[in-house]
Amino acid sequence: MKRIQIFAAGMILAFIATTAMAQERGCILLKTVAEIEKIDTNERGEKSTRLVPAEKIVPGDEVVYTVSATNICDEAADHVVIDNPVPQHMKYVANSAVGPGTDVSYSIDSGFHYEKPAALKVSNPDGSQREARADEYTNIRWVMRNPLKPGSVAFARFRARLE
Amino acid sequence: MLGEYGVMMRLKAYIAVLPLCALLSATAQGATTPAGTSISNQASVSFVMAGVPGSAQSNAAAFLVGEILDLNITSQSPTVSVSAGDTNRALLFRLTNTGNGTETFPLAIDDLVAGDDFDPQPATPAIYFDSDASGNLSAADVAYVPGANDPTLAPDASIGVLLVNNIPVSAVDGSAGRSRLLARAATGTGTPGTSFPGQGSGGTDAVVGAKGGQAEALGQYLVGDVQVSLAKSVAVLDATGGASPVPGARLNYQIVINVTGSGTAHGFVLTDPVPAGTAYAAGSLRLNSLPLSDAADGDAGELVTGTTPTIRVALGDLTQTAGPQTIAFSVTIN
Repeated sequence: MKRIQIFAAGMILAFIATTAMAQERGCILLKTVAEIEKIDTNERGEKSTRLVPAEKIVPGDEVVYTVSATNICDEAADHVVIDNPVPQHMKYVANSAVGPGTDVSYSIDSGFHYEKPAALKVSNPDGSQREARADEYTNIRWVMRNPLKPGSVAFARFRARLE
Repeated sequence: MLGEYGVMMRLKAYIAVLPLCALLSATAQGATTPAGTSISNQASVSFVMAGVPGSAQSNAAAFLVGEILDLNITSQSPTVSVSAGDTNRALLFRLTNTGNGTETFPLAIDDLVAGDDFDPQPATPAIYFDSDASGNLSAADVAYVPGANDPTLAPDASIGVLLVNNIPVSAVDGSAGRSRLLARAATGTGTPGTSFPGQGSGGTDAVVGAKGGQAEALGQYLVGDVQVSLAKSVAVLDATGGASPVPGARLNYQIVINVTGSGTAHGFVLTDPVPAGTAYAAGSLRLNSLPLSDAADGDAGELVTGTTPTIRVALGDLTQTAGPQTIAFSVTIN
């Protein structure tokens, strides 16, 4: 019995050491940018949209958040999962979360469980259940389908409206 | 026994506009984020590299919430019945700061409104705050002095504002005169989206809201004649089935209130003391044949107890259209 315990303790120590190493190496560089859409009209009256840094945000405005994950090490990263809580005072804009090569899921309980929209249920006062509304989502998760190769960048994006 | 004249005299004293209690209710619930709030977003990532799990946090992307300049005015007394030559007649409005920062709102009155029959004449001063929340002009109300006491409201806070006008003697029966209250955000007005850098709450940028940073609302005076007449009658019923006013005999009173003219008698309250030497017959009060309880409660009538017990019936706003109102009650001769 004693030997097994010592062995188990040794395993945990080894695990902590390697985890610390992976974090220290900082193999994925994660960056968040907050922007808003600006509509420009050219001399011909044609409109075009571009993203500019989020400033002068007032209630009702939509902010576009772009998260980029860059693999800065020389090995591929597997099971890459990006999580983003919907910021305080903001509501997630329906169908706005996108990420090439990712599966998007959502949480309505601050990130304890993630599901596809159809599986997120909220109880009505009368005990019946309904599908959660987009503005009730608390967290967004992007799960990459494929490994993130060395030097590659994965993007995740969503919109949120300031209350 | 009370003559008709006696009832009339008391009536005059009790005809008053009832306090508009409902108008003092709390302001709309606000969910807008206060100006100056910092909104931060931080993502995290987890992964596995060479069989070893790893994780990382992003930078916190943050911005400050700017101040949106928005306000709303609602008329609380859309039409006020007046008589030609009336002075200091008030229209009640409610000004609400629907923006997300504390803001000051200069006010103005406009009596030259197109599309009405006559122009009300602004009293001096013409704008008051409904300081005592009575819903009408009263001694406690503070006059508005432009630039000196412009109302400053926190987000979602509101204030009662009175426009006070005189009604021209020339205004004819049935004619309408409108008066407009205007308010604007002191920080600035303009096309929605116009920005005032650094001028918002807490040094943030202020941005003009959907209403252009200003608001207005109309109130209306309607000139109408109104006369109220009362007819009181009594039927005596003694123990023998006769009509002798002897002790123990029952006196059945009936008061019929008639309104004539195009106007409205506002907040009409009828009071009639129980005659000396008689006792009120409990539960005998009726309005248009329907029983009213003696207690001061949800219904219109009550017996006000005291040294002189008094019948009191609050009839609200009376018009000719509503038809005659009949109040009945009984007493017993002691």
